[in-house]
Amino acid sequence: MLAREMRRLPTTLLWIAVAALGATGFAVLALSRGESISAAWILCAGVASYVVAYRFYARFLAVQVFELDDRRATPAERLNNDRDFVPTNKWVLYGHHFSAIAGAGPLIGPMLASQFGFLPGTLWLIAGVVAGGAVQDFTILVLSMRRDGKSLGQMAKEEINSVAGVAAMVAILAIMIILLAVLALVVVNALRSSPWGLFIIASTIPIALLMGWWMRSVRPGHVLEASAIGMVLLMAALVAGQWVSRDPTWSHWFTWSGTGLSWAMIGYGFLASVLPVWLLLAPRGYLSTFLKIGTVLVLAVAIMLVLPQTRMPAISRFVDGTGPVFAGKVFPFAFITIACGAISGFHALIASGTTPKMVMRESESRLIGYGGMLMESFVGLMAVIAAATLEPGVYFAMNVPAGTLGPTTETAARAIAQWGFVLHPGQMEALARAMGEATLLSRTGGAPSLAVGMASILGGVVHGSGLALWYHFAIMFEALFILTTVDAGTRVGRFMLQELGGYIWKPFGRTSWYPSILISSAVIVAGWGYFLYQGVVDPLGGINSLWPLFGIANQLLAAVALCVGTTILIKMQKQRYAWVTVVPLVWLTAATLTAGWQKVFAADPRLGFLSHARTVVATAPNAARLIFNDRLDAGLALSFMAVVVLVIAASAREWWLVLSKRKAAVVNESAYVESAYATGD
Amino acid sequence: MPQATELLRRAARVVRQVVGAPDYERYLEHQAAHHPGCAPLTPREYYAEFVTRRFGGAGPTRCC
Repeated sequence: MLAREMRRLPTTLLWIAVAALGATGFAVLALSRGESISAAWILCAGVASYVVAYRFYARFLAVQVFELDDRRATPAERLNNDRDFVPTNKWVLYGHHFSAIAGAGPLIGPMLASQFGFLPGTLWLIAGVVAGGAVQDFTILVLSMRRDGKSLGQMAKEEINSVAGVAAMVAILAIMIILLAVLALVVVNALRSSPWGLFIIASTIPIALLMGWWMRSVRPGHVLEASAIGMVLLMAALVAGQWVSRDPTWSHWFTWSGTGLSWAMIGYGFLASVLPVWLLLAPRGYLSTFLKIGTVLVLAVAIMLVLPQTRMPAISRFVDGTGPVFAGKVFPFAFITIACGAISGFHALIASGTTPKMVMRESESRLIGYGGMLMESFVGLMAVIAAATLEPGVYFAMNVPAGTLGPTTETAARAIAQWGFVLHPGQMEALARAMGEATLLSRTGGAPSLAVGMASILGGVVHGSGLALWYHFAIMFEALFILTTVDAGTRVGRFMLQELGGYIWKPFGRTSWYPSILISSAVIVAGWGYFLYQGVVDPLGGINSLWPLFGIANQLLAAVALCVGTTILIKMQKQRYAWVTVVPLVWLTAATLTAGWQKVFAADPRLGFLSHARTVVATAPNAARLIFNDRLDAGLALSFMAVVVLVIAASAREWWLVLSKRKAAVVNESAYVESAYATGD
Repeated sequence: MPQATELLRRAARVVRQVVGAPDYERYLEHQAAHHPGCAPLTPREYYAEFVTRRFGGAGPTRCC
C-alpha cells in the first residue's frame, strides 16, 4: 500500500505545482490594480487551468459520465469509406477539428470586450471554456459519434421532438445569416480606405483560381503543391501591396468606400455559392487553413518570447454600461461579446458534422472535443493579450465609431480625455504611418486594433522592424479566413434553404437544379447582405447593434446544444450527472436572455433597439430606414429568444416524462460492435 | 536518402489529413483492401469527387 502511494508521490507533487502556478497567475491578475503586469501571468492562469481541467474534469466526463469504451467500434471504423468516414490519428484529427472550429470569433470578441479591461475577458474565457464550451463540444461529439455522426438538428428531432428539430434548423439558418453579416462587416471595416489590405485580399481571388485549375487539370489532387505555390504568391502580394499603397494611380484603384466594399462582398458571396467548388471555394479553403494554423502557432511562440506588458487597465470604468465601443453592462454583455472563445454554439455543428465520422477510438474524443476547445480558448487569451498591450487611448481611438469620437484626432483626444485616458497629439498619425495606413481613427470591428496588437508582438520578436508588413499580414490572416467562412457559410445556408424549400415545393429541394441554386443563393446573400449594408451606413458603426445580435444568436445555439445533451444524458439514465450540462445551460440562458431583453427593451437608446427607434426624429434623413432597422433587429432578437425558450420547454417536458417514468428511457445509439483496434489491430 | 524521402512522404500524409486534402495513394490502398474487384477512379475523377463531397455538402466545414 505504502509503496504504491510512494510511486504516486511525484505525480501528486507535479499536479500540486501546476495548481499552485495557476493560483499564482490568478492572484497576480486579481491583485494588480493600475500597475502594468506581464502577459505571462495571463498565460499562467489560463494554461494551468486548462491542464488541470483536462486531467481531472475531462477525465471524469469521459469515464463516469459518457463511459467511453475503446472496445466499441466508432463509426469511422464500422463505416470506413475513405471519404467522410475515415479512422484518423488523434493528433491529426485534433489539428483538423481545431482548424474547423477556430475562426475570427475568438479573436474579435475578446478584442471588443476589452473595453471592460482585460480581467473580465480573461476570467470568462477560462471559466467558460472549462465548465461550458469544452463540455458542450465534447458532449455533442460523443453523442453524435454514438449515432453514426448525426447532426445536431437530427438529434434534436429524434431525442426531443420534431418541433424542437425544426426550431433548431430555423435557428441555425437565422444565426448563420447574422454571423455572415457581422463577419463581412468586420472585413469591410478592415479594408475600407486601405489600398494595401484590399490589394492582398483581391489578389487571393486570382491566386485561388490558379490553384483550383492546377489541382484539377495540371496535377490533379496535388493540394500541397498548389498550396505551396499559392502561399508564395500570397506573400508576394503582401509585399507588393506596400508598393501599391505608395503609387498614386494604383492606390487610387484600390481605395474603396465601405458601401463599395459591401457590394463587392455580396457579389463575391453569390459567385462562391453558385460556381463549382473546385474553382474558388476549395483552393481558398486550403490556403486559409494553412495560414490559420501557421499564424496561430507563430503568434503563440511570439507571445511567449516577447511576454509583453499590459497597458490597458484590468477593469475599466465601463463595466457600468457606459462603454463607447458597445453599450451594456459587464453582465451580461461581456459574456455575449466574448462568445466563441468561451462557448460557441456553432461548434456543435462541427462536433456533429465532419469530426465524429473520423474518430478512431471512443476515448480519443476527449482530446479532440474537450482539448480542441481548450485550444480555441487559448486563441481567445492571445487576443486578450494583444488588446491589453495597446495603450488605452489608442484602443479607444481605433474602436469607437466616428459618431462618438468626431472627425479628427483632436476631437477624438478630447472625447478620450473625458473617459480618463490620454491620446497624445500626433500619436494616431504616427501609428498610422508606422502601420502603412492612411488613418487608424475609428477603424471599428476589432480587426485593425487586433492587427496593431499582433504587429507589435510579432514585430517585437525582430525588435520592432517591419511593423507595416506585420500589420498587413495580420489583416490578411483575419480577412482571408473570414472570407472563407463567408463563402462556405453562404453555400451551407443555400443547401439548408433548399432543404427547407423542398418541403414546400419538391423541385426546389434538388440541390443541383440551377434555378433553385440561383434563387436560394440570392436569398441567402440578400439576407446577410442587407444587414451588412445597413451596418456599413449605420451612423453608430453597425458593430454596436450587429455584434451583440451575433453573440446572442451564437450563445442561444449553444443553449440548444446543451438541451440536446441534457436530454440524452437523462435518457442514458445518467441524471445523477445531468448537472454537467445543466449548470452551463442555466448560466448561458440567464446571461443571454437578459442581454436579449435589454437589447430590445432597455430605456437607454444606445442599448435598446426600441428606445433608439423612438429617438429618431421623424424628419431626419433616412428616418424611416433607421426606425425599420431598429424594429427588425428587435424582432430578430425576440424571435431568437422565443425559439430557445421553445426548445428548453420541449426538452424540460421530455426530462419530466422520462424522470417521472411516464416515458421509457430509450436511447437511439447505434448498435454495439466490437472494435478491431482495441485488441491491438 | 531513401529514409529522408520516406519521412517526407509520411509528413505529407499527415499534413494532408490535417487540412482535409485528398490522398490518392491512401484511396488506392483502401480500394485494394476493401473493394479488390472494382477498377479504381483516376486521380482526376477521385479529386473531383473528393472536393465535391468535402466542400459541396450541406454540413458546415467552417466556424465563426
